[in-house]
Amino acid sequence: MWIKDRHMWMVFVLPGVILLILVLGWPAITSILYSFETEQAGDAAYTLANYKSLLKDPFFSTTFWNTTVFVFFSVALHMILGLAVAMVLNSALPAKPMFRVIALLPWVVPDVVAGIIWKWMYDPIYGALNDLLIKIGLLENPIEWLSNPKLAMTSAILVNLWRGFPFVMLILLAGLQSIPRHLYEAAAIDGAPKLQQFIHITLPGLKKMIVVALALDIVWEVRRFGLIQAMTQGGPGVLTEVLSTYTYKQYFKFFRFEYASAISVVMTIVLLLVSLPYIWMISQEE
Amino acid sequence: MQAAKLQPGDILVKTLIWGFLILVCIYCLIPFAWMLSTSLKTEAEAFRMPPTWIPLKLTADSYIGIWVRKNFGIYFFNSTIISLATAVLSTFFGALAGYGFSRFFFKGRRFLIGFFLATQMLPGVLLVGPYFKILSKVGLYDTRTGLIIAFLTICLPFSTWMMKGFIDKVPDELDQSAMVDGCSRLGIFFKIVLPIVAPGMVATILFAFLLAWGDLLWALCLTSSESMITVTLGIARTVGEFRIIWPMLMAGSLVGGMPAILLYIFLQRLLVQGLTAGAVKE
Repeated sequence: MWIKDRHMWMVFVLPGVILLILVLGWPAITSILYSFETEQAGDAAYTLANYKSLLKDPFFSTTFWNTTVFVFFSVALHMILGLAVAMVLNSALPAKPMFRVIALLPWVVPDVVAGIIWKWMYDPIYGALNDLLIKIGLLENPIEWLSNPKLAMTSAILVNLWRGFPFVMLILLAGLQSIPRHLYEAAAIDGAPKLQQFIHITLPGLKKMIVVALALDIVWEVRRFGLIQAMTQGGPGVLTEVLSTYTYKQYFKFFRFEYASAISVVMTIVLLLVSLPYIWMISQEE
Repeated sequence: MQAAKLQPGDILVKTLIWGFLILVCIYCLIPFAWMLSTSLKTEAEAFRMPPTWIPLKLTADSYIGIWVRKNFGIYFFNSTIISLATAVLSTFFGALAGYGFSRFFFKGRRFLIGFFLATQMLPGVLLVGPYFKILSKVGLYDTRTGLIIAFLTICLPFSTWMMKGFIDKVPDELDQSAMVDGCSRLGIFFKIVLPIVAPGMVATILFAFLLAWGDLLWALCLTSSESMITVTLGIARTVGEFRIIWPMLMAGSLVGGMPAILLYIFLQRLLVQGLTAGAVKE
């Protein structure tokens, strides 16, 4: 062979790297460059004009705030429900695989499908949710889940809870299964109450999985697009508008490519900052 | 042993646990039940008050309608071709890179691993603008090829991770002894390692397929004509229509979501490892 074996990595790794640079790196850099251009200034001049107008754009700050609320509550609720279900499924339980599959279902359908089912569930007149809640006596009058300005964001978050908790559950379940049983047995012999066991055995044992689940979930929820697009398209008004749907509108409704690029660059920076600990952790392990 | 220890407190805890589990199942399943129920109704019954859960008049009209009155056949064809091509391409290059990362400890390896990971974090909206412009320029806007290239951005990093995970499990001694026998690295990769990880490769292809299948953003930005759009975009467009025919939309959603539901259930054991870049090994 004319290539020494220790250089052979190039043959394997470089095609992928080059492909990734072509299909992803190059457009990403193009997008960053767009964000410093304006329609008026011509091709040559780079300015900060887009970023300055970002700061002044009330819709951008609203959208940024909406995204923060949406992501924060989605992820927090995913963690709570995901951990609870994982712990239940980790205990000795008959028919565990069946429950696992059922709990996974909301997560596996395409985003659009999830958004549309819930749009129809939430329908104030013909939808299932009002009907059910009235039947079991939790509600007296139908609620306008998605068109009531006070409720729209909450309703969107509730759908996203349904959609996203299974993934957290799955990761935490894998984590729980890797905690050695004898730790609990030893604690039980010493008479440690369940809460103590949870704080001193379960949580430390899950630390790494929690970091992984948090990082990935935050990244996915910040990027979440199809769900909102199919369900509310950001409405009513801009009440459920998040960064991804707002950027899409700037691109393809208003054709402000440079401005849209600036928003997506801000998004990218946020995402990379959030995922940095995760990236660091994994590449160190490798 | 269990029975001997059972105390009133345990029974309470058991009841609470089961109650919680059943509530969670209802929460998960009700939207699907509603989707199925609506898809089997006539249009008039879908707009009935109060809503019915079991259709008074069962009909499969919607399931026929999506193929006959809507272009679901075309959408399905497009989604299948696009997702499959993306999946095969990304898994092939992913397997190559995965083998490289698994077997060679070269300078800059960590950096490249970090690069692959970081690319998985980028938002799609960062890329759709340039893609729209570049693809329009080279005549690939509104084509299946254009979408396949775009989907590689999502699938390639992911496939690399997954394939690396599978190749890591193949002992390096196999490679070493084959090299002693005079086999080249590429020969080892194609003739020894790939056949061993073939099941993993199938899983990776299926996962990448599903990643592409579920997308809306890229399809929305990079296609426009009815003959090029995907299942998800077809469904999303129906919602935008002036008068939504819910039974048909629900039938379409169910059929469009079915490949994902079936494949994920089939693949769920490998799911965690694939999605967490091997950070979680089940």
